[in-house]
Amino acid sequence: MRHFKKSHLLIGVGLVWIAFSRIFQGDQTLELATSDNTAFTTSVGDVAASIRGNRTKSAAFIYFFNPIRAAINGFVEIIRSIISVPSGNSIIPVIGWFGVVAIVAFAVYATSKLRTALLAVSLLLACGALGMWQFTMDTLAMTLASVLLSLLFGIPLGIWAGLSDRVLKILTPFLDLAQILPTLVYLAPLALFFLIGTASATIATMVYSIPIAIRITAHAIRNLNQSPIEAALSMGSTPKQTLTKVQLPMAKQMIILGVNQTVMAALSFVVIAALIGAPGLGKPVVDALIIRNVGQGFVAGFAVVFVAILLDRSTSAAAKAQEGFIPMTSQQIQRGRIKRGLAGLAAIAAIFASRSVLSLAVWPGSINIAQQVEDVTNHVTKWVTTNLYIFTVGFKDFISNWVLNPIETLLAFSPWFVTLSAIVLIAAVIGGIRVAMLATGLLALIVLSGLWHEAMITLTQTIVATLLTMSIGIALGIWVGRSVRAERILRPFLDAGQTLPAFVYLIPMLGLFGPTRFTAIATGIVYSIPVVVKIVSEGIRAVPVAMIEAATVAGSTVRQIITKVQLPAAKKAILLATNQGMIFVLAVVVIGGFVGSGGLGYLVILGGSKPDLQGKGLVAGFAILLLGVTIDRIAQASARRT
Amino acid sequence: MIFSQRRRIATASIIAAGALVLAGCSSSVNDSAEGASAASECGTWAVAMHAWNGYTASAQVVAEVAKANGCTITQTTLEEAGVTYDAMEAGTIDLIIEDWGGGRWKEWVDRGSVVEVGDNGNIGLIGMYVPPWMAAKYPDILDSANLNKYADMFKTSDSGGKGAWYEGPPGYTTIGEKMISANKLNYKAISTGSEAALVDVLTKAEANKTPALAYFYTPGTLFIKIPGLEQSRVKFPANDWSDAAKASGLTDYPETALKKLASKKLMDSNSVFATIVKNFNWTNADQNSVSADIEGGMKPAEAANKWIAANPDKVKAWLGN
Repeated sequence: MRHFKKSHLLIGVGLVWIAFSRIFQGDQTLELATSDNTAFTTSVGDVAASIRGNRTKSAAFIYFFNPIRAAINGFVEIIRSIISVPSGNSIIPVIGWFGVVAIVAFAVYATSKLRTALLAVSLLLACGALGMWQFTMDTLAMTLASVLLSLLFGIPLGIWAGLSDRVLKILTPFLDLAQILPTLVYLAPLALFFLIGTASATIATMVYSIPIAIRITAHAIRNLNQSPIEAALSMGSTPKQTLTKVQLPMAKQMIILGVNQTVMAALSFVVIAALIGAPGLGKPVVDALIIRNVGQGFVAGFAVVFVAILLDRSTSAAAKAQEGFIPMTSQQIQRGRIKRGLAGLAAIAAIFASRSVLSLAVWPGSINIAQQVEDVTNHVTKWVTTNLYIFTVGFKDFISNWVLNPIETLLAFSPWFVTLSAIVLIAAVIGGIRVAMLATGLLALIVLSGLWHEAMITLTQTIVATLLTMSIGIALGIWVGRSVRAERILRPFLDAGQTLPAFVYLIPMLGLFGPTRFTAIATGIVYSIPVVVKIVSEGIRAVPVAMIEAATVAGSTVRQIITKVQLPAAKKAILLATNQGMIFVLAVVVIGGFVGSGGLGYLVILGGSKPDLQGKGLVAGFAILLLGVTIDRIAQASARRT
Repeated sequence: MIFSQRRRIATASIIAAGALVLAGCSSSVNDSAEGASAASECGTWAVAMHAWNGYTASAQVVAEVAKANGCTITQTTLEEAGVTYDAMEAGTIDLIIEDWGGGRWKEWVDRGSVVEVGDNGNIGLIGMYVPPWMAAKYPDILDSANLNKYADMFKTSDSGGKGAWYEGPPGYTTIGEKMISANKLNYKAISTGSEAALVDVLTKAEANKTPALAYFYTPGTLFIKIPGLEQSRVKFPANDWSDAAKASGLTDYPETALKKLASKKLMDSNSVFATIVKNFNWTNADQNSVSADIEGGMKPAEAANKWIAANPDKVKAWLGN
């Protein structure tokens, strides 16, 4: 009964909103020309300029930021000189390509099994064949460096948060925030303090991956079976002994899983980090985006996918190797040890070879299929864009004219106080008075920032992309949730979609739809569908079998079962998926600023290029953050309240 | 199980340690390749690569001349202006061969991290262009006073009911919004991400005989690819620069002498590369001939070397003091 009323209230708010919007269309929209600053953005720009000016002078830089930058730069450079760039006076890295392949093969073999090792080797060789060897090594070096640093801080913090409720309570808001924050937002502020280069890129990657390391470690410690711990304590172990001898060994598998997740997060960030000077595969991807060469983007994109699969499979295989129910016989252990020893010797021999034979040190240029892959991709793209132009552009125009433009008119071209009140009322209806008050505060800050209109443009694109994502994602989620076969078919795509950085498929979308808002929306959809499908399908699967059986016995058709039983029962999962989907979409829609989507993302990018708009860019980044938190709080409240 | 795991890790670490010891040994590849690695007097320098064809031509020619004189040159694709100036301050970029943005680098020059090296000889002129078929069919469209009359033709699903005005990418010098308001036009500036997108807009418009109004510039080779484009520039009233107050109502782009910017590190060095950068100077026609070759599918290095071989005198002048 309550639910019934709520939807009526929402429709009421919507109608009043539309009516007011019609009457006051175009008044008080707080539009600000792209090249104009407000007093506030100008003063932020002045602060930024004075920070830049102080880089060589102020104590904060000399004793804090610059040493950190130097230390991280040095750390990354050491790793790079081992596998990627010429070390010292030499023309080759310490270990040539053949040696790197051997080390990876050995490391994967030693921690999991032969098949995974073979997969890892072929993926690495494929990266080489794509002409991406050095970029791949740079990406591995960057990922390794950021993961090591993330774990160095993340695991101890995670253990601490696992043991102490207070620490967890203090950390949680920061961890939440870091997960909502679209990646584009913190690049510019970091570059302001640490300059463009590997240090900024590494720190930015860490901001993204540390929360995951902390979360999973804390979770691992907290969810242990308590009886062995109590036993240890009752037998007189000190807390330290309990931690190192009981809790940590028990939590090990989970923590290694955390390592896997941290690695994947770092890798997905390393591409966008190329925008602030990260060496690696992000460079050719960003280049391709700038010069709009779909083929080149694909070549680099493939390499990113290969590295992602390589890292994912090898670290998750290592986590799996930790579990095992049947203890090995001593003979098996002995044999395993001999095998690993031999493999190790072979690896050492390979490293040696890679230092003595030039063709094993530097990837041979003759083995390169990049041009072919690039040509094929460009041909296909050209064919699609010239022959399917009518469909792609037709579809784009249809969505733009009938969905995007009306919503944009409502949100961005109504007076600001009308839109603001409408959003707050919606928040109140679905989230209650506290969420409404929070939304009021956050939205008022956006108004004060002077970028309200741009924020509403971005919000429009986020909403449209989420609507499309949910309509595709729920359909796929139902299919996957109901059929094992569907899951088997879609799983590889979902996995790939989740590991692939959004930047990579921005380029083909650009090829299809040109520099428009819809390109950003389409990219956002592709990026967020996997997570939506995953959550929805889990929700569908969690519906008790008894409920479905009862409905079947009562004579329901498949359609009735889906619409009357499974969907209502999975409502919470669907709302949760909407929340996640929106956050994912927002992160990508702002990147769309690179391809003509306008809005806050474009201002962030503009701020990086135009010194007089830097302040505005930084403020736009902050506005994205405010928008993200607003969306997240309202969506979360709606999931919580059902 | 835990026991065996520990053993595995132990074995792995012993082997890793072995590998590191081995890595410490001298490598015979290094010895055998001594010649190639010998550091020349010129040194290693990083050239920023901005993503328009003309820039590529200039930067590649400078890079090839430098390489022929013993320099090691790295080329990094970067967004223009702030991003690149910051990179120069951080020491990762040494040269911008073509900067259009009159003085936006001042702050970095004042701080001593970027040095103005002077004109590179190219004269840049930005403008708004329509495809030649439109100029032929509606001759009066080239006068900005008539643009509003045709605004409806330029509408797209993204232009908010106004005519679509395709603006240059974020790092380029763009005053589209100011031109629209100063000339009271019923158009909306739409950002495009790249030169490639602008090329795409104009090429498709000419091929499909559809309307478009887009930002473009000389020097550039699109004018060779689309005959008649150069004459299809919309003429706006010239800016009145005499009155500082009026300068904010920018009505059109001025002609700009394009500048070379270099890192202080480079200009303070006695490297031959500094000499080349100081003396580098060529005409729009020179640049167009190289960019036309690149546009035609030649690799940039190949196109640059072709021009270098054909113009020994000019190259020699850059090397002389």
